[in-house]
Amino acid sequence: MKTLKRLINIKCCEEIEEYKKIGITNFLIFIPEFSIAYPTIPIEDAPDEVFVYVNRIMDTNTVTNFKKIIPQLKRFRGIIFEDLGVFHLLKDEKIPLIWAQNHFVTNKESLNYYLESGCLSAIISNELHKEEIKEMFSSSLKPLVFTVFGKNNVMYSRRKLLSNFNEHVGLDEMNDVVLETKRGSFFAHEEENGTLLFAHEYFNYLEFSEEIPDEKVLYYLILNLEFSVQEIGEILDGKEVGNRGFLEKKTVYKMAEYDDKK
Amino acid sequence: MKNIELLAPAGSLEKMKIALLYGADAVYLGGTEFSLRANAKNFSRNEMREAVTYAHEREKKVYVTVNIVFHNEDLVGLEEYLRFLGEIKVDAIIASDLAVMSLINRKKIPLELHISTQASILNEEAALFYKELGATRLVLAREANRDDIKKIKETTGLELECFMHGAMCTSLSGRCVLSNYCTNRDSNRGGCAQICRFEFDYLKDGKKQSEIPFSMTPKDLNMIPFIEEMMKIGVNSFKIEGRMRSIYYVATVILIYRRLIDKILANTLTKEYQEYALNILNRVANRESAPQFFDSLPGKNEQYFLGRQEISNQDFLGLVLDYQEGFAIIEQRNYFKRGDIVQFIGPNLETFDYKVEEIWDECDNKIEKANHAQMIVKLKVNVKLQQFDMMRIKVFDIS
Repeated sequence: MKTLKRLINIKCCEEIEEYKKIGITNFLIFIPEFSIAYPTIPIEDAPDEVFVYVNRIMDTNTVTNFKKIIPQLKRFRGIIFEDLGVFHLLKDEKIPLIWAQNHFVTNKESLNYYLESGCLSAIISNELHKEEIKEMFSSSLKPLVFTVFGKNNVMYSRRKLLSNFNEHVGLDEMNDVVLETKRGSFFAHEEENGTLLFAHEYFNYLEFSEEIPDEKVLYYLILNLEFSVQEIGEILDGKEVGNRGFLEKKTVYKMAEYDDKK
Repeated sequence: MKNIELLAPAGSLEKMKIALLYGADAVYLGGTEFSLRANAKNFSRNEMREAVTYAHEREKKVYVTVNIVFHNEDLVGLEEYLRFLGEIKVDAIIASDLAVMSLINRKKIPLELHISTQASILNEEAALFYKELGATRLVLAREANRDDIKKIKETTGLELECFMHGAMCTSLSGRCVLSNYCTNRDSNRGGCAQICRFEFDYLKDGKKQSEIPFSMTPKDLNMIPFIEEMMKIGVNSFKIEGRMRSIYYVATVILIYRRLIDKILANTLTKEYQEYALNILNRVANRESAPQFFDSLPGKNEQYFLGRQEISNQDFLGLVLDYQEGFAIIEQRNYFKRGDIVQFIGPNLETFDYKVEEIWDECDNKIEKANHAQMIVKLKVNVKLQQFDMMRIKVFDIS
C-alpha cells in the first residue's frame, strides 16, 4: 500500500518509466518561471498524470504570467502551491489543490481551514517533532502528504546572495556551494528569482512513516535534488542515507524554555 | 495623500510613550504570548491595557502582533487572548497564520485584522485572498517593488503598510528556519537568532573557495528617496522596524521621519534635509542603510560583508527629566564633560547646538564631567526643555 502512495519529483520525463520499474507511480514536476530550487520541465512536455509543484512566491508580474497558463494546468492531476495567490486563482477552477506553504503547515486550525476551503490535501512542514507530526495527521480532516525524504529548504531569499558575494571577493560565477559554520552546513543554490538554502544533509523519515496510520496519508513524498533513480530505489529499500531531522528535536518557542534546555 | 501614518515599534511601555511623544501616529507591540521578537521585553496584559488607554487619550493607535506561526500546542489560550485584545479595544492585530484569522472569523471576535509581513504578500491575488478573509490592511513583504505596491492597491483598495526603515531579513519573511537548524530556536515563533548575520566558509566540491568568509547580511533599509512616491501610489502606513532598540534610537528615528513626512506633505522637503536625515539615521543605527527592492533588486552594495562587527553608539548623552528656572535636570546616559559641544532634540523643539559650559551635580556642586551611568546633573540651558527631550553628541550640523 505504501509503495503505491509514493510520490516523487522527476527531473525529466524519461524518469517516469524508470521509477515505475521500482514501484513508484506518482509523480510531480516543477515548471519554469513558477517553480524554484528543483530541475524544471516545460508544461507542454509533461504528461497528464503528474502533479505540478508551483513553489515560487510570486510578484505581480509573475502572477500576470501565471494567469495565462491556468488553462494548461487543468489537465494535470493537481497543483501543489506555496503562494496563496495561486490558491485564490485556482480554488474555483476544479483543479485538485495541495497546500504546501513552506514552514506554515504546522497547526490543525490553519490546516483544516484550507482542507475545508477545498484543498485536496496539504504537505505538512518538516520542522515538526514526531509527536507533533502524529497529532497533525490525527487531527486532519483529510489525508495529508508526508515528505519522507528530502533536503529541507531552510531559507528562500529574493536576493542574489551568491552572485553578490562572488562579485565582492572577485570570484568567477559560482553556484551550488556549501556554506559552513560550526552550527551547521547548508547547500546554497541561486537562480534568477533568488537564492535557496537547504540543509546540507537529507532527512529520512522513511522508518518513522511506519508509525503513521496509512489511511491518514495521501502520498509519501520524496523530494530528490541529486540522486539517480537507482540510488532512490536503494534508499527506499533501506539504504541508510540522511538523518532524522526534527523528529527527536522539538524546537523551542519561549526563550525561557531555551535557557532551561541549554 | 491623506491618512498617512507613521508607525513605530514599541518594545516596552517607556518606548511606546517616547515613540508617540516624538511623533508616531501609531505603535505596534507584542504581548508576552504569540508574538515574534521573543527577546524583546514585550507587554504584560496590564501594560497592554495601559498602553491602549495612553494612546487613545492622545488619539493614537495601538496594533498588537499575534504573528507567530502556530504549532498545535500554541493554540491553547489563543481564543481567550484574542478576546482580551478585543475587550481592551486594540486598534488591530497583526497576524500571519490562518489559525488566527480563522478563529476571529469563526468566533466573531471583534478585532480588526492586519496581515503581517510574515505572510510575504507580493501580488494582488494573495492580497485578495486576505481581503476575503476580512483583512483591512496588508503589511507587504519587504521585497515588494513599485509595480507590486501599485497593483495591490489598485486591485484591493486596502490600506497598505510598508517598512520604511530598519533591519532587513535576508530571507523572505517567514521563509527562514536557519535558527531552527543552528540553535533549535524556532524563528517563526520568535526565536530568530540572526544566523544570516553569521560568517560562513564558502565551499565547492569540499574545497574552500575564499579566505574572506561568506556573508549574506543586508544593510538596513531606508526608503527616504521614495517616501513621497510611495505615498502617491497608495501606501498609508510607514513602518519603522526595531522593537528591541533603545529609547534614543526610537526617538531619533521617529523624530527624523516625522519631520520628513511633514515636510513632504507641506511640500517643503529639501535635498539638504534628506541628506541630513540620512546621516542622522545611519549614525544612530551604527550601520549603513539603503533603499531596497522598491526601485531595483538589491546588489552587493546593499549587503554587508563585515559579519557582526558593529560599533557601539555612545551618542546619547542624557535624558531630560525636568526643566526648572532655566536649568535642565538630566539623567546621564553616556560620558560628557565641560567644553563639549552637544545638541538637544525633542518633539516640540527645533534641534539646537549647545556648549556645555558648566555642570552641577544633584547637590549643586560644580563638576567637570558627568561620568557615572544615570547620574543626575543640571545644566543651564536658555531654551525651555521638556521631559523626554534628549541630549546627544553633535556630529552633524543642523539642516
